[in-house]
Amino acid sequence: MATRRLAFVIRSLPYKTEASRLALTHAIASQTVEIYLEDGDLVEPVVCFIGDGVMNCLKNQQAMKNYGLTSIEQHMKNSLLLDLKVLICKEDLDKFGIKEDALIMDAEDIGGETKAQIVPYSEIQKEMEAVDHLQFF
Amino acid sequence: MGKLTIGCFSSLVGSLSLDFAVKLSEAAVKKGHSVDFWVSSNATMLSKKGQRAFKDYSALAKTLQELFATGKFQATACEACAEARGYGKEDTMEGWKRHSMDWYLASTFSADRVLLIGGD
Amino acid sequence: MKLGVFMSDFKTGSDVLNRLSAEKLGIILVGNGIYHATVKDTGKASSILDKSANFYVLAEDLESRGFNSSNVDSRVKVVTYGDVVDLMFNDYEKVIWI
Repeated sequence: MATRRLAFVIRSLPYKTEASRLALTHAIASQTVEIYLEDGDLVEPVVCFIGDGVMNCLKNQQAMKNYGLTSIEQHMKNSLLLDLKVLICKEDLDKFGIKEDALIMDAEDIGGETKAQIVPYSEIQKEMEAVDHLQFF
Repeated sequence: MGKLTIGCFSSLVGSLSLDFAVKLSEAAVKKGHSVDFWVSSNATMLSKKGQRAFKDYSALAKTLQELFATGKFQATACEACAEARGYGKEDTMEGWKRHSMDWYLASTFSADRVLLIGGD
Repeated sequence: MKLGVFMSDFKTGSDVLNRLSAEKLGIILVGNGIYHATVKDTGKASSILDKSANFYVLAEDLESRGFNSSNVDSRVKVVTYGDVVDLMFNDYEKVIWI
């Protein structure tokens, strides 16, 4: 029985490319990975938003209304619903003047209990050091 | 010898990042390592059969066939990404598998090194 | 951590690189990242070369863009794909692409 921890570090703006969407959908795929692994083995993702990537965390995304696309907001909520660890860089939020109340911090409306965490970059750096593999999107 | 898992999102045509990923795979296999190769997003184009080689566009089909023949290289395309682009199972090049994203996550579990090349 | 960073662009990614810290850092210049090793912008070498790291540049990507080893900053070692594989497996425990 073993657990491998993977960091999904999102630095890309949403929508122009698929990068942030794919980071979240790949992270969510960790929930069904057991079919390929031995009993008890797990892949545990941690999702981190840094730099321009913090824009993915803004509330009230209307991608479904305007483009018929599942929003990044919905994928973030699904991540929280599945209890994935989601970290958002405080310094980058401060740089853009984004306050916590503008962010997707929970998935209570769909029954989630886990909350996103706003943390200093140093905490994200610690996660990057702690995981087995790092991926930047 | 180790195992390298490469994930790539970049398009076959319009970016050289996928060429880099395939050349890196080739170099790793030559040194005796095994490679799991995962393509999502526009990189799923790499798995499509019937590609014609032109000098102005990246052409990697022949290299991939040589890599498959080594037995140390396996490649899988994201099924949903391929279907969304109109590539059905019948359009897939010999040697490729198609799975959902959990295949990639599972591959990272036993990988010694993971390199994710996001989209351009 | 021992971190290898594939730097694939010239004008983006430096912000990420500047914040990364690692006990051992290797920066492998590939694709358009090779310009960090070869071009002086307004007479100055790329600021990423001032970072405390080991620098490498991929020979194939240098040559494809009209450069050779004589054009490369003295802080940067020219490497092949095979060398890159060895760096990944022997020198750095995690690798990222930016």
